[in-house]
Amino acid sequence: MSASQIPNLNTLRRGGARLRGRGRGGGELGSDAPSRRGGSSTKDRVVQGTDNDASVSRLSAVNLGYLDDPFASALTPPGQETRRLPIINRGTYVRTTTIDHLLTQFLHPSTTPHRPDTDTPQRTPTTPTKSTIPTLLRPKPKQIISLGAGSDTRIFRLLAQTQTQTQTQPHPEQTIIYHELDFPSNTASKIRAIRAVPHLQRALGDPQTVTISPAADALHTPHYHLHPIDLRQLAALASSPPSRKGDLGNEGADLRLDTLLPGLDPTLPTVLISECCLIYLEPEEARRVVEFFVGVFDASVGEGKAEAGAGAGSGAGADGPPPTPPLGIILYEPIRPDDAFGRTMVANLATRGIQLQTLHRYASLAAQRARLRAHGFVDGQAAADVDFLWERWVAEGEKERVAGLEMLDEMEEWRLLARHYCVAWGWREGGGRQQHVFEGWRGLEGQQDED
Amino acid sequence: MSDLDRAIAQLRACRLIPESQVRELCYKARELLIEEGNVVCVDAPVTICGDIHGQFHDLMELFRVGGDVPDTNYLFMGDFVDRGFYSLESFLLLLCLKVRYPDRITLIRGNHESRQITTVYGFYDECIRKYGSANVWRYCCEVFDYLALGALVLGASSGLEPTGPALETTSSTMSLDDSELETEVLNSRGEVTMSSYRPKQPRTDSPLLPSLSQDKSATSSTTQTPASSSMPPLRSGWAGTGATGDSSGSYATGTGAVLCVHGGLSPLIDSVDKIRLIDRKQEVPHEGAMCDLLWSDPDEIDGWGLSPRGAGFLFGGDIVKHFNYKNDLSLIARAHQLVMEGYKEMFDGGIVTVWSAPNYCYRCGNVASILELGEDASNGGTVARSNGDYGRSTGGAAGAAAVTRSPGRRYRVFEAAAQDTRGMPAKKPVADYFL
Repeated sequence: MSASQIPNLNTLRRGGARLRGRGRGGGELGSDAPSRRGGSSTKDRVVQGTDNDASVSRLSAVNLGYLDDPFASALTPPGQETRRLPIINRGTYVRTTTIDHLLTQFLHPSTTPHRPDTDTPQRTPTTPTKSTIPTLLRPKPKQIISLGAGSDTRIFRLLAQTQTQTQTQPHPEQTIIYHELDFPSNTASKIRAIRAVPHLQRALGDPQTVTISPAADALHTPHYHLHPIDLRQLAALASSPPSRKGDLGNEGADLRLDTLLPGLDPTLPTVLISECCLIYLEPEEARRVVEFFVGVFDASVGEGKAEAGAGAGSGAGADGPPPTPPLGIILYEPIRPDDAFGRTMVANLATRGIQLQTLHRYASLAAQRARLRAHGFVDGQAAADVDFLWERWVAEGEKERVAGLEMLDEMEEWRLLARHYCVAWGWREGGGRQQHVFEGWRGLEGQQDED
Repeated sequence: MSDLDRAIAQLRACRLIPESQVRELCYKARELLIEEGNVVCVDAPVTICGDIHGQFHDLMELFRVGGDVPDTNYLFMGDFVDRGFYSLESFLLLLCLKVRYPDRITLIRGNHESRQITTVYGFYDECIRKYGSANVWRYCCEVFDYLALGALVLGASSGLEPTGPALETTSSTMSLDDSELETEVLNSRGEVTMSSYRPKQPRTDSPLLPSLSQDKSATSSTTQTPASSSMPPLRSGWAGTGATGDSSGSYATGTGAVLCVHGGLSPLIDSVDKIRLIDRKQEVPHEGAMCDLLWSDPDEIDGWGLSPRGAGFLFGGDIVKHFNYKNDLSLIARAHQLVMEGYKEMFDGGIVTVWSAPNYCYRCGNVASILELGEDASNGGTVARSNGDYGRSTGGAAGAAAVTRSPGRRYRVFEAAAQDTRGMPAKKPVADYFL
């Protein structure tokens, strides 16, 4: 990708507000086409619009009882509420619960799936805040970075869960530091929603700890960071190793990690999530975005250590050379573009201006696993399609409950659709002393047989 | 031009008719349907169609490929509405054709012809959107309640007249002088893409029975010498063969009847007559025989199984063989399940799924098909017309069980109509995906 194609962050920032009233679909696309500079930004808007689609689907699944998510309606644009078809609701359910489950296993490896509240009480009672407790007694914070998070509600659900947990459970909270990265227009509208809805604000905790940028497109709390950034910016930085403190490439001589992504702590165990995000980038860009983060979390890359993480105010004790922290990744995206359903999908989305750019490169479960291996997630790589996840990961009782919500009229269609989406996950435990952060992922069943 | 013809012309152009006309049409249709039994008897030749699901332009393509009404006789096995964007246009057109040509077109009920399902899967919303109220939806639902539950096709021929030129790539079992064309698959341009043959019915010059069409036992008494016992069929496809353990290879001359039903069999139904006993004029129940007929699916299992759909059952090959044998059926034709290739025969040809909605939901990428059953001309075109027990074995003088020959089957496979993309409403997303 040539440098001229890399959008200037500030341009995007200014353009943000206008994107509000955009529509979707081929018709409007055509009318936008003439503006030359818009060539790539029109495409961006379409990609940004996909978030809308996802949040409407989420709300539909919540309203029908598939998912329990008190934040879904607050983060769905008003007036967009619509009932999706049963297969879409079921797919949304599987997608959401699978990623939830992977995160639960990352955050609380010892707990039962879906039920963090059954966790056995350990250690001594504690106050919910990080005040007087010696750092040693608290579990090390864990970090989650969600790429193209859009209107995702997961952070609010996690924060709400942590709050109730600390109220009812006498064991120390697992501190979460959650980052969401998205186009400034998407982060700005999320911040507008947060400002407008009290229970979103409450989930964020003490209002005194919340800071919002002057452009109202960045938000920072001790646990939650909303970064207005075009991922391609990071892709461009991947080639020059992202020193944690030093220069970030030639062009951004002034950019350091803590100004680029404030609050990101490169020493913490971290999981990277791309829920239908990287697939919209050019394959090389998508690869470089992951490479960027793998580099950020590689202690051997760059010289300056740990200081960048100070913004998070977390337990990044830096005695001696810090080990490379454990890093995992979760991908959710379409696969199998080459059969009749896949070809139709590609064609249909194209009429909406949506291009799944990495779809053909990572067309199968095996390709997804190889992709993760190549990125250095050497300790484990697994993948499964949504059909498999529904069949094998959802417990029988829960399956019965979900199947009872709506009658599926066409099983073949469900299987067809569900076989064209996959979740892939991989991890590396990192260096230093033996770590088992991803122990919980080791036992999860991936799908072996291939097309 | 009558009002009805005008309505047909208008609907063919994918333009809706006024609400008052819909009401009148539905009233007339009900008067007509109420006279039909739960199981309608239909004479071959007939073209059997599966799910349409509001894909109006594809229905037009179906008529282009299969021939227009009334030139071609049609039997639609339900699921006219839901999912596609033109359920109203599709169903009202079919209904108009039914009222206009009652003997040329047969409509039976699918699981989507139901109040409950249509509120979830789109038809209700479409009625509100296009007519501004639920009135038309109500009229249509009242018609649904009167639709027959099944049909029996009688008098289908066992062999096909070969269609014109075959494609160079045609795969085919060899054609022999003493063989007949059993199945033929054509693409939408009418080119043969596949054909299969089987040995001809061995014929003795037994006296042609004068009262053939009335005399039930006559058909089964014209049993033939088991010439073919040493000559296995070129293709397994003799329904019921497995069920006749004591069969010494005697065959009835005609093919058995073909039962058409939207979904499949029910553990509560062991004979076609039992279907006739159902009180059908109601909303599709959540369970019971009527529900099963509209919801069940064949599967590679033994006996009965639970359906993942949440209604109806799964039934295995043994169930089909036994049912066909007991009822002297040569084939069950059903729809209800998406088949990427448009049709799928199972259990040695004892049952076939016919799917007529190409690129289902504008998303699945599948082709569609229709199934043509020819008229048995060997009896001078006389169709043995009985109340569904045509060709039923009486047990035979020597106790030999009659083995019914499956009818010759011509599948016309077709793809989604080209204009479909243009006709798509712009404001609605094309098809849902996870983004």
